[in-house]
Amino acid sequence: MLAEAEPLLSVRNLKKYFPIRGGVLSRVSAYVKAVDDISFDINKGETFGLVGESGCGKTTAGRAILRLLQPDAGTIRFDGIDLLGLRKQELRRKRRDMQIIFQDPYASLNPRMTIRTIVGEPFAIHGLASGTEREHLVADLLKTVGLDPVVMRRYPHEFSGGQRQRIGIARALALKPKLIVADEPVSALDVSIQAQIINLLADLQQQFGLTYLFISHAIPVIEHISTRIGVMYLGKLVEVGTSAQICLAPKHPYTQALLSAVPIPDPAARKQRIVLRGDVPTPINPPAGCRFHTRCPIAVDRCKVEEPPLREIEEGRDAACHLL
Amino acid sequence: MTDVLEVRNLKTYFYTDEGIVKAVDDVSFSVPKGRTLGLVGESGCGKSVTAMSITRLVSPPGRIVGGEILLNGRDLLSMSEQEMRQVRGAQISMIFQEPMTALNPVLSVGFQIAEAVLAHEKVSRREAWSRAVEAMKAVAIPDPEKRAKDYPHQLSGGMRQRIMIAMALVCHPALVIADEPTTALDVTIQAQILELLDSLREQYHLSLILISHDLGVIAEVAETVAVMYAGKIVEIGPAMDVFHNPKHPYTEGLLRSVPRLGSSVQKKDRLEVIEGMVPNLLHLPEGCSFAARCYKRTVECTERPILLEHIAEQEVRCIHAR
Repeated sequence: MLAEAEPLLSVRNLKKYFPIRGGVLSRVSAYVKAVDDISFDINKGETFGLVGESGCGKTTAGRAILRLLQPDAGTIRFDGIDLLGLRKQELRRKRRDMQIIFQDPYASLNPRMTIRTIVGEPFAIHGLASGTEREHLVADLLKTVGLDPVVMRRYPHEFSGGQRQRIGIARALALKPKLIVADEPVSALDVSIQAQIINLLADLQQQFGLTYLFISHAIPVIEHISTRIGVMYLGKLVEVGTSAQICLAPKHPYTQALLSAVPIPDPAARKQRIVLRGDVPTPINPPAGCRFHTRCPIAVDRCKVEEPPLREIEEGRDAACHLL
Repeated sequence: MTDVLEVRNLKTYFYTDEGIVKAVDDVSFSVPKGRTLGLVGESGCGKSVTAMSITRLVSPPGRIVGGEILLNGRDLLSMSEQEMRQVRGAQISMIFQEPMTALNPVLSVGFQIAEAVLAHEKVSRREAWSRAVEAMKAVAIPDPEKRAKDYPHQLSGGMRQRIMIAMALVCHPALVIADEPTTALDVTIQAQILELLDSLREQYHLSLILISHDLGVIAEVAETVAVMYAGKIVEIGPAMDVFHNPKHPYTEGLLRSVPRLGSSVQKKDRLEVIEGMVPNLLHLPEGCSFAARCYKRTVECTERPILLEHIAEQEVRCIHAR
């Protein structure tokens, strides 16, 4: 698929801080800098993978982009429109074009609704189709995701994890969105079911020309599905590049360590790995300078004081490191 | 090599209102001294129930209905509950997936480790405490004297898992069962914990059973691998053979369906999949439980129970494996 001149989604200097309140007066005592100044583009028809460990801000980034969380700073251009400038009504209309698939297929479907209601809800919210028309649309959606339309009368608890995730996908597809944010969509599933859902997402992308923002901590999954990948650490993007650039020849020391920590399903491949010492520092008081310097095997004095900007270090690859 | 643990024809069934669930059905394996057995399979395959059966912690409606579990030659299933208590924690210990729920939030971690010593050995409180600190040092917790006074919430996930490991090791058990010990952890922390477990195993000549759904984790540390499906071991053998030359179609499918690091060398659009779903354990088919999803399926597969057969170094439960 060819990338168009203007990216479908363009994120610039996005920030999302969560205040921590304390004391009798609930004064703001500090901020969790969950997403701290990240910028990236996603082209139409591609899959952009956002990868990182827990607490790195990848989920917050996904939600802030959909304005499910109100960003504190930055701009988000989606499909030629500045999302942060939209008023409630306009945003609501725009939301048809951007949908989300959640990680936990058990928590993201209302247990008291039938599948018909769940998958038909987007039409109800946007006042699009009703009655038998909606019924037909729901049936079609279920078929698209590989479920028999007779399941419409059933409730979420009657389905397995993989089937529920299919239902969640059907709901996300209902309004023919342009962008889908998939937040750890296969992490809760068994290995053999994971592959089925990953294939389904790839098929749907082809069929409907979808663009994905795919958020996951599972690096092999991200590599398989993504065109380009952004690696996050403590609220910052540390490296962005094509999936081959990131996974075959990582440049940032954190990306290198992250990749070397991935266990390979082959006993012959037990390898020398870069084992990072210590834990991820808290995003409440991130280290000064480069946020990774406390665990970085090659850090120098400069890294402790000066924050490295994300800059292009080769064709198509950006990295935030002084030593590259 | 002497076997520290030998499990023979273990059967653990759950007698539910809807019927009998054969969670573990005729499972046999052994763990030699100082070695690691990897138990791999998807949710509901019976790998955790196998672990609970070895420690005799299966709770009703579950019951161990058959087989033998020999620890250094002594049958655990014929022991009294009193005797079994002396085995748990002292000779066999367990490490669980979620350290936050396995630890008591209102007691210091040092106290909780020392408690394990006091439960099994006649030592003073002071000595138990110093043993706890020593164990924390062994699992590479920095500043153990000070950290021992911390409560679980003051530690990170990786540190809590180290505490669990320290607790498991403090009485020098012969066998440690680690049930998904790194599943709740981030990859960089997972790498630390796996490295630690492996070095402790070597240092203390521990026998280890590592249970995981993650083929990568299993490949990383196990010498012998047992693959479980619907309550049965479908393939068991040396890790190299099972991973490089899987003989059961389920093992084969499982290995093919995981995305691998480095796949962008030749990008494929689709992953290979195992079609269908795990069967309901309440209504298992007569013959091979995997038959419905298997590409090698023939009529014979569904006619009679399929037995484990030796093929070279492996044992495989499939009539088409040869």
